[in-house]
Amino acid sequence: MIRTAARSNDIPASYGLGLTAIAILLLALALGTTAFYIQSIALIPEVQLGLNGEISLVLALLNNVGIILPVLVIGLSLFLIVTAIQMLRSNADAVRWASTIVFWITVGAIGLAIFAFFQQSAANDILGLPADYGRGLSAAIPPLLLAIPTAAASWWMSQNSGLINRNQTLTSRNTRMAWNLLIPTIAILIIVAARPLEKTFITSLTDKRFGSADPVSYVGLQNYTQLLSFRIDTVECRREDDGTCTLAADGSVRWELIARDLLQAGYRPFVNIPIGGDRSLALSGTDSEFLTGIGNTLYFTLFSVSLELVLGLFIAMVVNSNFKGRGLMRAVMLVPWAIPTVISARLWELMFRDNQSGIINKILLDLGAIPQSQSWLTNNSLQLNAIVMVDVWKTTPFMALLLLAGLQLIPADLYEAASVDGATRWRQFTTITLPLLRPVIGIALIFRTLDALRVFDVFNVLLGRQRLSMATYNYEVLIQEQRAGYASSVSVIIFILISVFTFLYIRSVRIEAQ
Amino acid sequence: MTTEKNSLTKILGRVGFYLIILAILVFTLFPFYWAINSSFKGEQELFQPASYLPQSFTTINYQSVLSNGNFMRALFNSAWVSGTTVLLSLVVGAFAAYALGRLQFRGRTAMMYVVLAMTMFPQISILSGLFTIITDVGLYGSPLSLILAYPIFTLPFTVWVLTSFFKGLPDEIEQAALVDGATSFQTFYLIMLPLTAPALVTTGLLAFISAWNEYLYALTFTLTTPASQTVPVAIAQFNGTVMRQEPIAEVMAAAMFVTLPLLVLVVVFQKRIVAGLTAGAVKG
Repeated sequence: MIRTAARSNDIPASYGLGLTAIAILLLALALGTTAFYIQSIALIPEVQLGLNGEISLVLALLNNVGIILPVLVIGLSLFLIVTAIQMLRSNADAVRWASTIVFWITVGAIGLAIFAFFQQSAANDILGLPADYGRGLSAAIPPLLLAIPTAAASWWMSQNSGLINRNQTLTSRNTRMAWNLLIPTIAILIIVAARPLEKTFITSLTDKRFGSADPVSYVGLQNYTQLLSFRIDTVECRREDDGTCTLAADGSVRWELIARDLLQAGYRPFVNIPIGGDRSLALSGTDSEFLTGIGNTLYFTLFSVSLELVLGLFIAMVVNSNFKGRGLMRAVMLVPWAIPTVISARLWELMFRDNQSGIINKILLDLGAIPQSQSWLTNNSLQLNAIVMVDVWKTTPFMALLLLAGLQLIPADLYEAASVDGATRWRQFTTITLPLLRPVIGIALIFRTLDALRVFDVFNVLLGRQRLSMATYNYEVLIQEQRAGYASSVSVIIFILISVFTFLYIRSVRIEAQ
Repeated sequence: MTTEKNSLTKILGRVGFYLIILAILVFTLFPFYWAINSSFKGEQELFQPASYLPQSFTTINYQSVLSNGNFMRALFNSAWVSGTTVLLSLVVGAFAAYALGRLQFRGRTAMMYVVLAMTMFPQISILSGLFTIITDVGLYGSPLSLILAYPIFTLPFTVWVLTSFFKGLPDEIEQAALVDGATSFQTFYLIMLPLTAPALVTTGLLAFISAWNEYLYALTFTLTTPASQTVPVAIAQFNGTVMRQEPIAEVMAAAMFVTLPLLVLVVVFQKRIVAGLTAGAVKG
């Protein structure tokens, strides 16, 4: 039995007894959960195949269980055991942590019960089960049974919180409070981000397909080599009988294909860069569609972000000066940003129509800027620019607002002093505005680049499969072709690429470590 | 002579300035005007050369949108999916933000970096993992799958913005509460939380807009179940009545239903939104 404090006359004998019971409960929970978890893993069909030695056990475990959840279960169990032992040794801090633990186990178990109830009650098309609340109820009972003793323990500890929290230091109180408040966020981020990300990484090493009965097998880095292999060769142009280069209907040069053995090895040329002398560099890859997607995304990112920066800076400086209706102007600038991207894409689809019913063609024809109607969304050389235009319209005002916030931090007397010294407006801009705005510009640029690299909505709605960004390619492979393994490796490549920029972003946003 | 010239350049400068303002306004608002314009046009007129004003003014598009059961259901789906997501993110996010913004503890800076990195998380990169998990737990094709998935972008954002708000509150309030014998949790929800009400409104609004506009997950998880689709998917897949090819005028009318409430909110909360956005994006 736990020895209570020296002045035992203040403390009822039941207190020590209760703490001992809770310590035993924690030990039982730790061992029980671990045993139950291991047993449920062993019952997974694929893991059983692995246990029988028919397939690799490690791979079966990776594929079905992953790493994060087992580590978490084991880690938490160890924490429970250590806490319980410390409680039995009358460590007051361990008692406080125990009250945190029993509370969150109760909440977690009730959450699990609700989730299991709804998940199991719903009709299951794959197994052909109708909706049935009885099934849901029976699935919810085990977690509810678990919640009963922890809820009781939690209630008892809150009744005795005065005793439990006596002589507590502020630091220990704050730390426990902080983790109490952070646990829901951490739990959600593990469920919605960490675990799916892990699953994506593991699947990317397999040839898994959705809706296929074939067993999943590990292919190592094969998906990645397939996606990323590319080569550069020089090729000559196709020749007419008189030795001049053949021209295609639109006036561009037609190039020879790459060597036959390369074509047989799966390489497909996707772009030719002329280098003069009837020769060009032919870029070819084993997945030319993905490589083109990378190219399209980079083109889109480069042009949309730089246009948005220049226009945004201009607009921010205009709006920063004093004039009537400035507040209204700022409200108006949020309009394109607030319109859902899908809607603005469909709106621009209408405006970009390829005959005179499209307003863009109509305006440009009325202004005499183009000789005849253009097919903005189907013409190869125009469609990317059209997409850039849609994004520039939607995001420039947002960029302007970010920069405006930065401009307003520049003290006005700097400009006054400069005009007294006779500096021109342009000189003020290059010597005051730009240098002082540079941190804000830097952050806004990285922020927008990250957004642009993962562009999906506009490409999907306006171009579908005609022309792909990295994200729409990923979507097509995953959902339309159902190639989960291959699509996962596309996801991983995008993730790595964006992580680099995220790292840059985080370094530019300083977090003060008080 | 010179003063006259100066005032002339001044007037010209002023006129030029307002011309620039006008150009910016046209650039920003013309596409939106075009959506309104097209939503009042008859189907035939949309296939004739574009006219700057609708010639056959009609409200038929609005009537057919209102009687389109699929679209109405999508509005309802969007509303409850976004509403639930935002409520969840605000409750959970406010907890975490208070811890990160007001309490000193080991691991705080590391958690801040994790949250900040998560605000940049590329949603596409977990699409296949999430898809597998959602299929495994039997949520595929249900709006619940979206409620499960959306916190990935609403939660880190909410935590980050609210943290910077909590940091800005004066220390004295908390100390006074402590002296008065309030527990940590009482200090949090009786004293600090009410003070953040304005920030909660702004953050909630921004999170609501991003959930309301989300397309990738909505498309992936509800592609085959029209009854669970949200507005962006419904609009992208809009098919109107059977006989017509592409009911773009109806799409524009539908767009008005979706966009106008957002625009009203955005104009009303304009100042707060800009503050929230800059806190999320620029200030550390």
